[in-house]
Amino acid sequence: MTTDDLLTITDLKMHFPIRKGFRSQVVGYVKAVDDVSLAIRPGETLGLVGESGCGKTTVGRCIARAYTPTAGQILFKDERGQDVNLALLAEAALKPYRRQIRMIFQDPYASLNPRMTVLDIVGEPLRVHQVAQGKALEERVASLLKRVGLRPEYMRRYPHAFSGGQRQRIGIARALALEPRLVIADEAVSALDVSVQAQILNLLEELQDEFKLTYIFISHDLSVVEYIADRVAVMYVGKLVEVTDTGRLFGAPKHPYTEALLSAVPKPDPRLKSKRIMLEGDVADPARPPAGCYFHPRCHFAQEQCQTEVPALREVGTGHWVSCHFAHQLQLQGVTA
Amino acid sequence: MNKQTDLLLEVKALRTHFLMDEGTVKAVEGADFTVRRGQTVGVVGESGCGKSVTAFSILQLVEKPGRIVGGEILWYRQGQAPVDLARLNPRGAEMRAIRGAEIAMIFQEPMVSLSPVHTIGAQISEVILLHQRCTKEEARRLSTEMLGKVGIPHPEQRVDTYPFQLSGGMRQRAMIAMALSCNPSLLIADEPTTALDVTTQAQIMELMLSLQHEFGMAIMLITHNLGVVAETCQQVIVMYLGEIVEQSPVDALFHDPLHPYTEALLRSIPVLGRSKAGKLDPIKGAVPDPYNRPPGCAFHPRCAKAMAGRCEVERPELVYLPDGRTVRCLLYPRAGAKIGEA
Repeated sequence: MTTDDLLTITDLKMHFPIRKGFRSQVVGYVKAVDDVSLAIRPGETLGLVGESGCGKTTVGRCIARAYTPTAGQILFKDERGQDVNLALLAEAALKPYRRQIRMIFQDPYASLNPRMTVLDIVGEPLRVHQVAQGKALEERVASLLKRVGLRPEYMRRYPHAFSGGQRQRIGIARALALEPRLVIADEAVSALDVSVQAQILNLLEELQDEFKLTYIFISHDLSVVEYIADRVAVMYVGKLVEVTDTGRLFGAPKHPYTEALLSAVPKPDPRLKSKRIMLEGDVADPARPPAGCYFHPRCHFAQEQCQTEVPALREVGTGHWVSCHFAHQLQLQGVTA
Repeated sequence: MNKQTDLLLEVKALRTHFLMDEGTVKAVEGADFTVRRGQTVGVVGESGCGKSVTAFSILQLVEKPGRIVGGEILWYRQGQAPVDLARLNPRGAEMRAIRGAEIAMIFQEPMVSLSPVHTIGAQISEVILLHQRCTKEEARRLSTEMLGKVGIPHPEQRVDTYPFQLSGGMRQRAMIAMALSCNPSLLIADEPTTALDVTTQAQIMELMLSLQHEFGMAIMLITHNLGVVAETCQQVIVMYLGEIVEQSPVDALFHDPLHPYTEALLRSIPVLGRSKAGKLDPIKGAVPDPYNRPPGCAFHPRCAKAMAGRCEVERPELVYLPDGRTVRCLLYPRAGAKIGEA
């Protein structure tokens, strides 16, 4: 494929084996990610949403190659404009790309080593990739800390001396240390208090403008995703159900699951008593997904075809991809302010 | 119903402190509020503001080194004089009779608060046997019935399952079944849906409200999610650093907030359907460290409306406005009118 997309994922699969018994025989697979195809444009923020266990984090980790995918392609455009398939590269060959794809994690308490100073934490990637040493390293860390809104004088302190919001800023400084091109933010603001969450969201937006970053923003919080993302991909039990521009996804969703998800978000205004679509039952088990469309046991519009045939992700409007047999017929409700 | 008889809980000037080696943490430093029968009261605030400690104080479950150091917690029973829960012995028979039977509580993380080695049925039966005079068979039958009421399919089978065999939403339903098994007058729900997905959250909130209708209990809902509050509560209490800064009816709180903190909090959250309107307006700084409470009004270093020379010295008192709302801010003089408006 020759496009100007920064990252093109094709038919990505990540199946985790379930082992049982004395000889650890494989008795089945958890299909955490199943045939996901997605393209990410340079400079955009792609929101990846879904409920817990839908595979959104696994997609992120496959892109960062924390996992080796079971199958599929992850084409990443390097600085010379060449497509590299990250899914196939061996550890040594991956190293230059590790500099270009960085992650920000959810829990700022768990993702920073309590025995390392901020200087070591933020400076470690610089040292590992032999970018800077000694005085130069310290100066680089100081400027990074300043950029994320922390005082450089504090760089010899340990993480326990910082609040949750400040720790997340340290995590962001670490992610930016190697001047990445793609940043995967996995629930980066979910553990923060609302007043601090807004500060971090604004910081992420400023940094994106300044450093021309591309974000994959993984979150379960739809209001936050609507705020920060340009395009949104919705996942359900390892599959993509809908991908489109933020405005269209929230205003005129085409998949019944997206509609139900949007209607379930409580709105902070007592005068907006929206019609809620109650989903019956629980999310399907990715080890034993139902036949046909994975969503059909909970779907209000399910028909016979849905029980047998897996819907493909099809384009129903320009840049609006939906995997539902009846996407063109359904009249679904979005959110209105 | 007249105002006096429908009072259920009245908390007056509650103070709960934790005496640590590093200093005293004033987790709750002035909580004044009331809960009426059948009402849903939301308690909101950021982490560390004392909302959970307030709930634990009501139940006398504050763990050492924490201690209620002042104030009253008046518990009203129909046709009886109120009992001050703050004065009861936490381990005494009277408190134990109230805890779980008259006031029940559900917690954020059902996997942590349910016993992993007892079946769901055994755990619900325990509550029933403790508070009601009945046989084990009756308790088991009641447990099964409760599981059915909270929408767990096949309750006759589920009664013998262990918590790990249930999904997060089902576990939270089992917790609710346990809490409601003795028909409490007040249910304290501490972040009951925070660990759940949005679609499950919607199911659980719907369930709690329909059960409230059926059992006629009051709910004290502790949450940091303003959306949940807007959709379920009638009264809202906003806490900041251990103090109640505002108590208002839900519509007034969201459309005419009194306290600058409430106002700032509402401006800092992204709202679904409106988010593209512009940049978020965060509150500057962070919640101060509990050992170093700012002098004067605790919110003044972050407040956009702070008045130099007053807010950093004078500690604001709780002001009762004529319309029944309360606010703790120097912008509102004791008489009740806002400065500059009167």
